Amino acid sequence: MRDKKILIVDDEPEIRMMIERFLRKEGFFRIYSAADCASGLSVCRANKPDIAILDIMLPDGDGFSLLSSIRQFSSMPVLFLSARGEDEDRLLGLGLGADDYLVKPFLPRELVLRLMAILKRVYSPAREESLPVFRLGGLTVDLEGAVILGGSTDMPLTAKEHGILVKLYENRDRIVTNDALCQAVWGDDSYGYENTLMVHIRRIREKIEPDPSSPIYLLTVRGLGYKLLVKEKH
Amino acid sequence: MEAILRILRRFVATTILVSIGVLIFNFVLLGVLVFKEINQAPSPEGVVKKVAQGLGKRDGGYRLDERAAELLTQHRAWAMLLGEEGKVEWDYQLPSDVPRSYNLIEVSQFSRYYLMEYPVYIWKHGDGLVVVGYPKKSHWKYQLDFLPEWVRSLPLRLLTLLLLNVALALLVSVLIGTRLIRRIRPLVEGVLRLPREETVELDSKGIFGDLARSINSVSDMLQKKTASLKARDEARSNWIAGISHDIRTPLSMILGYASEMEDSPDLPQEQRHQAGIIRRQGERLRSLVSDLNLVSMLEYEMQPLHMKPVRLAVLARQVVADLLNNGLDERYDIELQLADEAVQINGDEKLLLRAIENLVQNSVRHNPQGCRIVIRSSLSEDRSRYRLIVTDDGKGIPQEQLAEITELPYSSKRKRPVQQGHGLGVPMVARIVQAHRGELTLESGGERSGLQAVMEFPSLL
Repeated sequence: MRDKKILIVDDEPEIRMMIERFLRKEGFFRIYSAADCASGLSVCRANKPDIAILDIMLPDGDGFSLLSSIRQFSSMPVLFLSARGEDEDRLLGLGLGADDYLVKPFLPRELVLRLMAILKRVYSPAREESLPVFRLGGLTVDLEGAVILGGSTDMPLTAKEHGILVKLYENRDRIVTNDALCQAVWGDDSYGYENTLMVHIRRIREKIEPDPSSPIYLLTVRGLGYKLLVKEKH
Repeated sequence: MEAILRILRRFVATTILVSIGVLIFNFVLLGVLVFKEINQAPSPEGVVKKVAQGLGKRDGGYRLDERAAELLTQHRAWAMLLGEEGKVEWDYQLPSDVPRSYNLIEVSQFSRYYLMEYPVYIWKHGDGLVVVGYPKKSHWKYQLDFLPEWVRSLPLRLLTLLLLNVALALLVSVLIGTRLIRRIRPLVEGVLRLPREETVELDSKGIFGDLARSINSVSDMLQKKTASLKARDEARSNWIAGISHDIRTPLSMILGYASEMEDSPDLPQEQRHQAGIIRRQGERLRSLVSDLNLVSMLEYEMQPLHMKPVRLAVLARQVVADLLNNGLDERYDIELQLADEAVQINGDEKLLLRAIENLVQNSVRHNPQGCRIVIRSSLSEDRSRYRLIVTDDGKGIPQEQLAEITELPYSSKRKRPVQQGHGLGVPMVARIVQAHRGELTLESGGERSGLQAVMEFPSLL
């Protein structure tokens, strides 16, 4: 992963230096940088980088048109890093096929994490994106297999229960509102499913809680939603 | 249109009044001017009567008394007395061309009209007929005769005539009035369009040409002013957008290196702590810059709105969940009381979320000693408006400051300096609510009785 070639296009030399420094610290070593569209494009042709970080305001054009030019011969992932934070720019960039859009000022940690996420998604071996497996007390919740192991019998999860648990696990130890859960499971127009949601939550509790009537993992936050407490062992 | 009808009504009423006035005036004139000198006094009938009375028999002959003779001389008239036989028995200054004897036919002829072109008047006398003649062409004589039927129906006929006159006056005034109105109408419409800031381009020909031209120029002026105001607003907004853009790049580096130092294990604890302060202040600056940009875009109506049906209850829950997830201090107690949750409003989800968040944050920031925050939502009585109300029981805001906290900090409308935070929070809420054609009401019972913020939006029902 760390041997991927990274191209940075930004007209501010100090920003280029800073990003390069952070990336080197993270272990990346094949880093190219360019100050404008023309040189960025020639680096793309000559060195064939694996991912590009593009600024939008460049002295000889904008990052959007640079991306369009790159797309004519390469489908490499691109991350926009721009001081233009307007929704319009963000949507335009993502619409052109950028993989992410980060607004300056940014925290270096965030840039590295997003960059890694893109690289993992694009270049990881063709393994399906796997869902997590985690422990709740004496039980193991296998979201990939949609089954709860470790009890007297293996308990399969229904599609809805699975969807709810995935959403709760993504936001573990945080409150997830009823609305967000309903939307995750029943889609956008999900008003009126609150009672159904309660029924499904009760079924999940029957499967994961030692005492479903006084839950210790899947908590109700009254009037708001639910919260899944996960104490990871590893 | 109503204005035009009013003008027309007044015009017709005025015309009728004027006509009646003229009619009365005419009657007065008729009496005073026209019929005044129809005859000199005394009338020929009076003269001939006096002559007949003044003609007495004396000494076998006739004699006219002094006063009658004087009357005749005064009118340059002559007189004669015809006897029973038709002969002139007596005369006074009788012209020579007047015959001295008449038969029955001649008498009846001249008694009606003229005698040898002299207008003559007759009167009965004990001895015959007194005839007084005036000089030729001094009087016109006409015979009047009417049917009794005609005389009886005369008042009705006059009334009909009058009514016809009134109808005619009315017709003429309506005709002239509508013609006038047809010319005035474009002018009225033009003037009515001015306040709506629409372009007005009137035909400047015709009698109201000057007026039309000046209305056109007012419209032109308004358009230019609006355009230049808009250009200025755009320039200001672009200026702020430009500045926030320029701040972001150096801020990137401050944040970048500060957070690197914060995480660096090689640095002593204290310096890492200081780097953390730099990082946090940098992040504050970052949010200030983007808030400033958002408020300026909203202020100058340049913020694109992504409107769609939104349920405010969902957003309220989201705000509270985020707040709790980010570790709201125990001093604050937050409660939701949501009613009519199904009601949607048309809105930009991100901006509305931001508005609710700002109000809650405002309560938190202004009450560091802690407070109880309640978020309520409800539908108005007539179901046309949906309200979201954020209340706290904290220290509240003095009445005189309530009006100005929705104004931008440092603007001329805000007299007191901002006390906590950057002061953009509530102004941003006010502008977001305004962009949704809603209403923001802030109420505070004064010292220590908390603040209530009501956002009211048109509901989608």
